[in-house]
Amino acid sequence: MAEPRSPVSATVPQTPMGLAPPEGAVVEMDPVEYTLRKRLPRKLPKRRNDVYVNMKTDFKAQLARCQKLLDGTAGHREICIHGLGLAINRAINIALQLQAASQGALQLAANTSTVELVDDLEPEDPDEAGEPLTRTRNNSAIHIKVFYPNPQ
Amino acid sequence: MSGAKDRMRHKKMRNQPSSVTYSSPDWSGSQKRNGGDTPHSGRSFDSSSHMRGGGPSPSDRYHQQGGWMRGRQAGAQAYAQDLPKCLTASSFAKARAAEVNAMLKAVNKTTGSCHVFGALPKHMRRRAMSHNTKRLPCRLREGALKMLEKSQQSAQKGKKELSKNKSRKARRRHGNLLLEFNRRQRKNKWLETHIWHAKRFHMVKRWGYCLGDRPTQKCYRACYRAMSSHCLLQDLSYYCCIELQGPEDLLLRSLSRLTSKETGPTFAASLCLSGRREGSVMLYRPDQYPSQALGPVLFLWRPCTKGSAHRQLWIWAHPTVKQDLLPELKAVCQCSEAVVPSATAAVPVPAPVPTPVPESTQPSPTGQPTSRKRKRTDGNPDGQPAKKIVGDGTRSPTTPVSWRSPVSGIVISDLSMEIVRYRLIGPLSHTVLSETLEPATDCDAESKSKSCAFWWPEHCKNQDNMSLHQQQSDIFQLFKGVYSTAEFPAGTVLGLTVDDPRLTLPRKKDKALPNLQKAEGVDEDRLRDISLRGVPEQCSHSALWEQSVRDNVTDNKISEQELNRMKSQLLVPGSRLSPVPLQGRIPVLLVHQPGKQQGQEMASWGTGWDLLLPKGWGMAFWIPLLYRGVRTGGLQVGLKHSQNKGVAHFPHDYPDCPAGARFQQEQEMDLLEKFKRRPPSKRANYIKHGCLAPFRCPWQQLVEEWEEIVREGGDAGKSPEDTVTGQPTQLTEMLSHPANSSAPRGSFAVLRNRKALKQLSAWCRPTSSKGQRAQRGSQTAALCPASVASLQTAHPSCLVWVRLSLLTKGHPVLHAMVCVPTADDLQQLLKDPHGSGPQEPQHKDHFKSRIKRRKKGHKTPSSAPKNESSDPNKEQGSDSTQSLPMDQGSSPTRCLSPEPSSTPILTVSKEPGIDPTNSASSGENLTIGLWPKPLPSVTSHCSRLTLGWITQGDFSLTAGCGEALGLVSLAGLLQMLLKQPAEQRGLVLLRNPASLQYRFAKINIEA
Repeated sequence: MAEPRSPVSATVPQTPMGLAPPEGAVVEMDPVEYTLRKRLPRKLPKRRNDVYVNMKTDFKAQLARCQKLLDGTAGHREICIHGLGLAINRAINIALQLQAASQGALQLAANTSTVELVDDLEPEDPDEAGEPLTRTRNNSAIHIKVFYPNPQ
Repeated sequence: MSGAKDRMRHKKMRNQPSSVTYSSPDWSGSQKRNGGDTPHSGRSFDSSSHMRGGGPSPSDRYHQQGGWMRGRQAGAQAYAQDLPKCLTASSFAKARAAEVNAMLKAVNKTTGSCHVFGALPKHMRRRAMSHNTKRLPCRLREGALKMLEKSQQSAQKGKKELSKNKSRKARRRHGNLLLEFNRRQRKNKWLETHIWHAKRFHMVKRWGYCLGDRPTQKCYRACYRAMSSHCLLQDLSYYCCIELQGPEDLLLRSLSRLTSKETGPTFAASLCLSGRREGSVMLYRPDQYPSQALGPVLFLWRPCTKGSAHRQLWIWAHPTVKQDLLPELKAVCQCSEAVVPSATAAVPVPAPVPTPVPESTQPSPTGQPTSRKRKRTDGNPDGQPAKKIVGDGTRSPTTPVSWRSPVSGIVISDLSMEIVRYRLIGPLSHTVLSETLEPATDCDAESKSKSCAFWWPEHCKNQDNMSLHQQQSDIFQLFKGVYSTAEFPAGTVLGLTVDDPRLTLPRKKDKALPNLQKAEGVDEDRLRDISLRGVPEQCSHSALWEQSVRDNVTDNKISEQELNRMKSQLLVPGSRLSPVPLQGRIPVLLVHQPGKQQGQEMASWGTGWDLLLPKGWGMAFWIPLLYRGVRTGGLQVGLKHSQNKGVAHFPHDYPDCPAGARFQQEQEMDLLEKFKRRPPSKRANYIKHGCLAPFRCPWQQLVEEWEEIVREGGDAGKSPEDTVTGQPTQLTEMLSHPANSSAPRGSFAVLRNRKALKQLSAWCRPTSSKGQRAQRGSQTAALCPASVASLQTAHPSCLVWVRLSLLTKGHPVLHAMVCVPTADDLQQLLKDPHGSGPQEPQHKDHFKSRIKRRKKGHKTPSSAPKNESSDPNKEQGSDSTQSLPMDQGSSPTRCLSPEPSSTPILTVSKEPGIDPTNSASSGENLTIGLWPKPLPSVTSHCSRLTLGWITQGDFSLTAGCGEALGLVSLAGLLQMLLKQPAEQRGLVLLRNPASLQYRFAKINIEA
């Protein structure tokens, strides 16, 4: 699951938690002095019926993949579609398309969560004083369960 | 007629008497096909041949015709008129006699190879017939026996008698085998895993080591998959470690002369200095930055002990860097005093010079005295048991390995081959580690009280050590809760003491997978803390830094045999040895390696851990690691790893380092040899492809030519360059200054200034491309002639290391050319974004005719040069007339045919054709398809200006398109960027050396 291009500077309210250095309470970092390196979001173990949606792969391909999981030989009764940040829209879109294509046979159950992401800030000036900073920020995620309801 | 047909004909004609000839079948066939009335022409030919053959009677003529001219229907009635009235038997037979003779001769003689069984039909041939003549039918045995004797004689003559005085069994006996191994590693060092590798890898001798290049099994993709989803193991023990000890400030001061802050963090970077992270730095000769680079190194500081300014530093360098680096280090640290190693040095003694090495004190009660005795008696004629070489076997024991400075007290020691370094690449490498390694078990109170020869009980006596060990093992337990190695901060160092991994060897090879259920107990908060801040400072400490501990561990290793014996005596087979033997505690260091940090896609690909072990323990860790389902890779995988990571690989991508230059030279030799091994008709003609340097890139010439172009840029166009460099005069004025003031050229450098690279990287991106966010504009100046000029002034004669990704199709290969697209090309690309790109018109090979001419001369027998050398005057005269006779003898068939009439031509062509001086002068540097040495202008040779060359290129499995790494001229790049429209900035053309097709590629510069 590659992290979608989440906005770096502007849109997400940055919560510099100042975790890393002891003197990190003042994290008024100057963009000139630091290079920002985003780490990958924490990975979780993946089952076969987990689909992580990203913004790089073609939408059609991702939709087809989900469809195949549901009605192929695999024939999962339910799949989970996960989307993070910018990919939330796309995850919802895929889930709804699946439901529409099934003529109402599929049901959706959506959950949201918050994912903690880690950024590394490397000092541009390799002076002895410049400690690399690490900060965390939060991003929203959605987990949609797409399933065939059990016939009662 | 093609050459092959010619040769066939010659073969047929070989045993023919000169009187018999026949027309080639296709000659007559073509005559017939041409329409016309064929019989006449055909007959006339035949009759003429018969005239030469001695004039047969007219009656024969018909038969001959009928014989040679097959399937003639059209002219049937024409023959009927010619039918002879009678046939004279004697004359008929006489005329045939010669032919029959020839036929008999040809039938009796075996053709082709001289093997007797060549005469046998295929279904009667048997295996090993040439060895055992009894497998042949009786009638052929005699000849075969003769053949066999002959071949045996010639073989004895060719090779000197192999001394096999010992039977194979004797040779394979342990002691003898060790002796043999020790002899074989005298020239090229073996790593500890050598024998394992040699059975499975293609080995190469490189940099004084025997290294595995690539596995013999097909596993290119499997290795890639291992790197991107599981774990790949690589033995990096050939990297050399240099240890520096001394006061911190002195060390930093002297080392700072080798580095520059402009290239990034140096030895003094605070995080590295504390010992928590491993750093990497580019080294230069003292005070020579930015020229005279030495190479990149990794370095690791030992965490400081309380209240002591004395520090210890390890510098890990490639072996080719080490040989340049060590003298420089000695110079900057003023370490001139060699410390002579004592008699019982840490360096093991090679077997040929046996000296008393303190044998390991084996505490075990040896149950098999007989076997031991036998080994000793027949193991070595000297009575000394052969000692396995641990560490560097090529060094003599008296060679100094450390040097002390009388002034500052800095001690430099060469620890190459003293520490084993394994690299695990892949997101699950931490899982593999956590399954393989187990933190050392504490030793019981009883052994603590006793004094012991092993280091661990002594170590355990100190309470501080034990608490530290507890902390370290706690952190190591956290590994189980981590899903990907990328979650750790880059370069984290964790020290650890582990149990002997051979004790926990699983029964079956299995793939190590993370099991998060098992890691339920792992504290989430602590995990987060680790991933944010890394390992706390004190936990980076390890006993591996201590020389004495390393030696103790190496000497006291339980042998495999001993271990197996202990295992076999277990009550329950297959269970663990319950009290771990005391000597099985090994200090190790785990060093995290960051993955891909640059670029947008596939972030932190190829991340992993390095495992540092004391020497001697290599195989003891290697096998347990393999049992966790890792793949192994050799040098080639290392290359692919760095290519996919988008980082420069040493020494391939460092042409400005002495090691890189040497590498290029070797590479050129290899490639040239490979090229010449092909038959000439199957070689690519690089001249026709417009490729001047397919085997070695003339970087110096490139840099100089581009500076020239930039200087002359504004002048009115007279050369092909002006298609691109029609410069505004204002720019040239500005640029003329740096050119005049530039330092005496003579060496190029690769641009490694972080700021400059950052600026370039921003300029190379198209400003309004999809997915590209606008740069934080404050820091980078806009791309304009002035800023370009200033950048260029600051960095004269520079190359820039770039990463190229192809836009559409294309598979870049080594030494592909990076070219500047013309304005038309860019227009074309806009119109047709999926087009295949422009083509280079084919060049003309002016050298080919010259080579051909020379070659003709060579075909004549070797007696000719003798005449020539005796008569030098004749040579000079013959030069002018050289071409004339050659044209006469142009058909090789005629020269070689046994007709007596052709011999005069042969002799004529022989005399002037062989010209030793000529062939010597041109023979060395004239090869078909390669430019002779003084190359013409490399930049403007083709229709597009050349910017630089590719040093590594392949289809990238990470990006899904062709990707290449290469170097381009800074001056050229800047000129190109200035000319290009904003939305197409950074587009170049790429052309493979043996292709005429240009492909569009995008330049990325990593900063």
